[in-house]
Amino acid sequence: MAEQVYTVASDSETTGEDKSQPSFPDVAIGIDIGTSKCSVAVWNGHQVELLKNTRNQHGMRSYVMFKDDNLSAGVTGGATRENAHEERDILSGSAIFNMKRLIGRTDTDEVVQASKALPFLVQTLGIGVRPFIAALVNNMWRSTTPEEVLAIFLLELKALVEMHLKHPVRNAVLTIPVAFSRFQQTRIERACAMAGLHVLRLMPEPTAVALLYAQQQQQLMHDNMGSGIEKIALIFNMGAGYCDVAVAATAGGVSQIRALSGCTVGGEDILQNTMRHVLPNFDSLYAGQTMDRIKSMGLVRIATQDAIHKLANQESVEINVDLGNGQQVSKVLDHSEFEQVNRAIFEKCEKIINQCLVDAKLVPEDINDVILVGGCSRIPRIRSLVLGLCKKEVSYKNVDALEAAVSGAALEGAIASGVTDPSGSLDLLTIQATPMNLGIRADGDGFAAIIPRNTTVPARRDMLFTTTHDNQTEALIAVYEGEGERAEDNHLLGYFKIAGIPPAPKGSVEISVCMDIDASNVLRVFAGVVKPQGPAIPPFIEVRMPTLDDGHGWCGQALAKMYGKTLDLAVLPKKLQP
Amino acid sequence: MISAPLRVPAPNAAAVPFCSASLSSSAPRHRHKPKPSTIRCAAAAAAAAPPAPTLYDVLGLRAGATVREIKAAYRRLARERHPDVAGAAPGAAAEFVRLHDAYATLSDPDSRARYDRVAVAVAVAVAQRPCAYTRWAAATGSGRRPRRTWETDQCW
Repeated sequence: MAEQVYTVASDSETTGEDKSQPSFPDVAIGIDIGTSKCSVAVWNGHQVELLKNTRNQHGMRSYVMFKDDNLSAGVTGGATRENAHEERDILSGSAIFNMKRLIGRTDTDEVVQASKALPFLVQTLGIGVRPFIAALVNNMWRSTTPEEVLAIFLLELKALVEMHLKHPVRNAVLTIPVAFSRFQQTRIERACAMAGLHVLRLMPEPTAVALLYAQQQQQLMHDNMGSGIEKIALIFNMGAGYCDVAVAATAGGVSQIRALSGCTVGGEDILQNTMRHVLPNFDSLYAGQTMDRIKSMGLVRIATQDAIHKLANQESVEINVDLGNGQQVSKVLDHSEFEQVNRAIFEKCEKIINQCLVDAKLVPEDINDVILVGGCSRIPRIRSLVLGLCKKEVSYKNVDALEAAVSGAALEGAIASGVTDPSGSLDLLTIQATPMNLGIRADGDGFAAIIPRNTTVPARRDMLFTTTHDNQTEALIAVYEGEGERAEDNHLLGYFKIAGIPPAPKGSVEISVCMDIDASNVLRVFAGVVKPQGPAIPPFIEVRMPTLDDGHGWCGQALAKMYGKTLDLAVLPKKLQP
Repeated sequence: MISAPLRVPAPNAAAVPFCSASLSSSAPRHRHKPKPSTIRCAAAAAAAAPPAPTLYDVLGLRAGATVREIKAAYRRLARERHPDVAGAAPGAAAEFVRLHDAYATLSDPDSRARYDRVAVAVAVAVAQRPCAYTRWAAATGSGRRPRRTWETDQCW
């Protein structure tokens, strides 16, 4: 499979276009890989242009269809009209979709567990390794990986862009969910590399929308319609897989991200909750994937999805599905029932909006505009919930809910490629912030955040630690990312050992751990002994994170089993710090 | 990108020289340079301009600047110094971090008040160093730095 990816990549590079146009403007394209749909846009010299596929769609369904030796991604959707993939083909088990929910996750992750209700095979062993995923080809499960599926998709997308622009493209800016860990980011980069794309930048989705907003505000000022004073926008983005919130302060073309928060809930969860409500024995009915069950489940999925879409505009909806085995589902679903079924999801959305406001040190009255984007922003309950929390009557009108993120990414692509525009519409800057706490394991199972979330990037912070045993000569620096109070509740990014600590009573040695996020968002950790000093001290260690390639679920446990508390560190109490 | 660790101050104590008033109580530690990062970068710190610039200097503002002026100055300077604009030149990131720390401290009323209290003490210390120019500047009273006696000077 991997070979195929590379073969196609080299094909596109030898089309000869390169020779006829030796100096093409290498403007990075903007890509929004959605859980459900994907779109691509590029700065065409005057403005952002969204590209359409051969089926005249801006938003292309994110999936890859496996058929014999023939792969085709959702970009072209089966290429010709006769072969066009229908939703029921995508749900036949032969297509892999929801890659964005699966990429970089281990089989203990609840998102992976929830993905077992998808028509293709997601097999988990629950030990903290990557899940086994496979597509149905000629009645056989054929294995693949989320990275590979994404790479195949991106390759087709790249070919589409190259056909449109008539020159090769190399660089891209991609949007990612706020909740993506640094480990997941490396997986996205790997998938891009497999597709021959170089990632110039990974932008949290709502920050891409914030950039588009900053451009619009700048434009208003040029037209003498804006006041030029700082405007605060709250951006709420909810797609099929993730939900993100950002608070951005904008003035003079500078978009400063004040706070970010995100979680892994989206339309997929709403759909699954609703399916289980419509068909209470959903799980027992579809336990074990046989051809019949896959087909029947696909029908329920399509009918429920359709009903949810209809509920956006009508009071109630009737769901009728023939499951094919003599069973019939017939149900009328109304708003209150739908909202009751998905209450936990709406509560989670509320939680991250409130957290974002608190982190930004703002009250609802400070917000000038509320921007609602993503497919789920069409759900009436979501709209009323966000607007209610922000005490607004209406949302910001000048963005398209499905195109804002990709447009922002294309803007960033042009800016990062050094394109300037005489009208000043690319005279923009985003000041990003870290979405999650970064720190190390300390004080037993605790987590000491060294760079707290919402720290402006680039950033550099340090913290002092000390030994927990007398004459402790080695210490383990285990680097985690996340919101949990215990180290284990967070993502392990990597670990290393400081050896050669001079023997001393516990608590008397000072070990400095410094974290640095540079301009390209690369995280480095520096650590070493700073007290006592002298020639007998080992040199500092610098480690680029993440170092872990796979199986981070077990690594933490393996370390604990092997070393127990012997290599532990404690945060040096403030009163002892100079 | 940055090969040698650079001195980046802790958020609230940003840019306050290490001999701040708060240190004076702990006599035995007094000789120690406090932050480990300072030690690692002693050379870099020494090479910098002698009187440490205040956070207001970093933003190019006078001490009484309004919040709005602080925000505007930050944005203006960010458009010059942010690594996205300034490029990957060595030190560009550290330069921006310094700018942002100054902004972060001064744009928050509480941390600004805290900083201003400490900064006054430091300013006095700087003014009383045997450096002709700074002493003259302080004495002629371009700023509102109050003159103090030598006893308050714990560092020199």
